[in-house]
Amino acid sequence: MKEYFRDIFQSIWTVLLGMKITWKHLFTRACTMQYPDQRWVLPERSRMRLFNKIEDCIGCGQCVRACPVDCIYMTTEKRTKDEAPVFASDGTPIKLRVTQFDIDMSLCCYCNLCTYPCPTHCLVMTPEYEFAVYSKQDFLYRFAKDKPVAPPKPAHHTPVPEPAK
Amino acid sequence: MQVEAFEGEEMILNMGPQHPSTHGVLRLELQTDGEVVQKITPHIGYLHRCFEKHAENVDYPGVIPYTDRMDYIASMNNSLGYALAVEKLMGIEVNDRVKALRVIVAELNRIASHLLSIGTYAMDIGAFTPFLHCFREREKILDLFEWTCGARLLYNYNWVGGLSHDIPEGFVDKTRQFMAEFEPVIAEQNELLSFNKIFIERTAGVGILGEELAISYNVTGPNLRGSGVSWDLRKADPYCGYETYDFNVPVGQGKFGPLGSCWDRYYVRVREMEESLKILRQALDRLPDGDVQEKVPKKVKPPKGEVYGRTETPRGELGYYIVSDGSPNPFRVKIKSPCFTALAVLPVISKGEMVADIIAVIGSIDIVMGELDR
Repeated sequence: MKEYFRDIFQSIWTVLLGMKITWKHLFTRACTMQYPDQRWVLPERSRMRLFNKIEDCIGCGQCVRACPVDCIYMTTEKRTKDEAPVFASDGTPIKLRVTQFDIDMSLCCYCNLCTYPCPTHCLVMTPEYEFAVYSKQDFLYRFAKDKPVAPPKPAHHTPVPEPAK
Repeated sequence: MQVEAFEGEEMILNMGPQHPSTHGVLRLELQTDGEVVQKITPHIGYLHRCFEKHAENVDYPGVIPYTDRMDYIASMNNSLGYALAVEKLMGIEVNDRVKALRVIVAELNRIASHLLSIGTYAMDIGAFTPFLHCFREREKILDLFEWTCGARLLYNYNWVGGLSHDIPEGFVDKTRQFMAEFEPVIAEQNELLSFNKIFIERTAGVGILGEELAISYNVTGPNLRGSGVSWDLRKADPYCGYETYDFNVPVGQGKFGPLGSCWDRYYVRVREMEESLKILRQALDRLPDGDVQEKVPKKVKPPKGEVYGRTETPRGELGYYIVSDGSPNPFRVKIKSPCFTALAVLPVISKGEMVADIIAVIGSIDIVMGELDR
């Protein structure tokens, strides 16, 4: 009997103790953020959206090899000797023409492993976090601007004259 | 097909896979007699992502993002175990700064993981407010991590031979500030939840995991310590210089009801956060100088051989067994998961409990299905 009332008393008392803390927090500042009105300033190192400055890309393909989920697709072709030499902004000569540099952002696992080996630091993760799209296809970012050089057209096929009868 | 005979009014009840308190996608098949659970059969594999097979197809640094995704609540601790195992295989000895920073991030993540664990446990039981308090504090740790390595949950921070980034300017002060703010929160949580009579009635005396049973089922981590066994790999098999830190291993005392109950397991986690703060304080005080990427190899290519590395994650003993054939990709990566062994003991300890108490037992063993299924 005594224990019964003690249990009731303890239940009420400990709940009141909890309520004291809850009431105390009613008068502290809210720690939530009203998101669309207030925006978060992400730190510099934040890893969100991938960006490739294609002008500096030398097409070495180290990012492709480093990616653990294989979401970077790259095709390159050799620049011909007679083309004007191109340099990246840090002076590295660009010997390859990057004809395709696609990143499927829907596959990306945001591990940042692709950006560390980049010799010209052209592939970076930006702190931009609002990049939702309506279609999954729009997550395929196409960075390459150079079109592949059209293959030389085959010489005109001259019809073989029909043998005279 | 074998049809089991029902005795009396028994009923099969499916709990999950989309049950909020199963911490992931776990399906429990309960055989109930009225409200008493006679038998419990866990069905796992809903979150199986072929981690071990996939690890054979990527190179050694490429595995680290995948280890982060196993126990996504304590990623730092997961990748730490992997990095230590590969370093052991390659014979790399990292400098003191890397060791100290690894301890700092691992302990911060341990606090974050325990906060989530006790917060969601309170919510399972029916107390909503502690959950919000825990998440508010956890958010501060995640902010620290985002500042350090750019990600909030999946860090890719512990590399083979070093760390991806050094800590940013002012990190030590910010961490100290967090610790000063966090310490009163533990006391507040104790008042609000741990010593609440209703919470004690709900958890003490439920899901008793005895010492013998825990050892025979290879239960590790706070679940084992909740049963009164003082076993912590940070003390028993120190790594990262844990032997130089002064901290205690909290064990369950059976304060309310029998030893090894849900309340004991819960309270061990609360006290472990205090111990983590103790370690953090020492690590921040002695943080040596050095280059964190000094020993990072250009190409991670361990020699032929095999290695077993184990660390104490917030959920228990996590082991990596790595076999190398001398190529850039691991030949085999086998994980010894602490959650898997913890779930194995669930049918034993929850036999004869009420259906509502099963929720309390699942929450108290603190499983993460991402690591369990891998």
